Amino acid sequence: MTCSSVDLKAYMLGELPENEKGAVAGHLRECASCSEEMERLSLTHLALVSLRDEEAPRRIAFVSDKVFEPRWWQRMWHSGPAMGFASAALLACAILAHGMIRPAPVPAGLTVNTAGVEQRIAAQVNERVNTAVAQAVARAVADTEARQQRQTAAMLAEAEKRFDLERKADRLAIEANFDIFRKEQARLYMASTGLEVR
Amino acid sequence: MIFREVEDRDLIAKARRGDVDAYSILVSRWEKRIFNYLLRLVGNREEAMDLSQDVFLKAWQNLKKLEDAGRFSSWLFRIAHNEAFSLLRKNKPETPLAADPTVADQSARLYPVELSLAVERALTRLSDDQREAVLLKVYQGFKFEEMAEILGCPVSTIKSRLYAALDLLKDTLAPIGARGVQ
Repeated sequence: MTCSSVDLKAYMLGELPENEKGAVAGHLRECASCSEEMERLSLTHLALVSLRDEEAPRRIAFVSDKVFEPRWWQRMWHSGPAMGFASAALLACAILAHGMIRPAPVPAGLTVNTAGVEQRIAAQVNERVNTAVAQAVARAVADTEARQQRQTAAMLAEAEKRFDLERKADRLAIEANFDIFRKEQARLYMASTGLEVR
Repeated sequence: MIFREVEDRDLIAKARRGDVDAYSILVSRWEKRIFNYLLRLVGNREEAMDLSQDVFLKAWQNLKKLEDAGRFSSWLFRIAHNEAFSLLRKNKPETPLAADPTVADQSARLYPVELSLAVERALTRLSDDQREAVLLKVYQGFKFEEMAEILGCPVSTIKSRLYAALDLLKDTLAPIGARGVQ
């Protein structure tokens, strides 16, 4: 085996068939330059595989995630035959409901005193309206009174507080004036008796 | 690995029948590999994440077209390759990068993070095709034939790209590898 016929890169990458590996290994033991080249390739490979895999910044969001699954109405909406069937069913229900709700025909000869019925209904409605209005007015009045009472109490408390503060300020002023007056009296007394005031 | 393949086959079979939970397990098994492959190819985390999302969505949509469940990995990477290169073609003109800056002390041992940075930098200096060949072979462990299937080109082309890439990487990384890691 000659140097030119040896595929060192394939050997290093594990791509040589088993029967060729032994021949290359034998050549490497004998040839210094191929051995050096092989060492350089191995060091390169070693440096390359030192690079570690990175973790993905987030996992792949995919079809198993609930957010990707269409809701039942979306599946229904996108299904042509299902929509057709649903429309037909809806129409049938509407026809059936109309047939059941429609008033029955009044037999001939049967008369109804509609004026009396209307009067009774109007009286009942008026009574209920009046009751509701009276209740609403009473509730509104009670609310207003309670609010006014609360406001008055708050104003009184505020006035009392202010009055207390003013009274306290007056007392302090009087005390201060009295103190000055007392000192003045003492000074005059001392002066009249000839004592020295320091 | 044999068990893993058997389980993947089972999951693929279920997913083909519309079992989204089975497919979700498949996604969780492959998402890290696909993300890292795309990350090293496009060099941007957000773009790699978006591409990963697209890859798994397209795989789900086309799962019934996968003829042999045993080839799921190369089929999936084929989709990832197509997605990545359509983005690379759109984004990036092929411009050769400047030479690698020399490290001040060429004899000192490297910290692991320095080695990682040096490898990343060396990889970015390759052309997209060369880098992809390295990624598929060194980091994903595909055989030449599988790489040819993924990239849609002959084995000879794969070897040519990979060997050229290794020659370039060797110049930068072999001295660094010889210095060792602290």
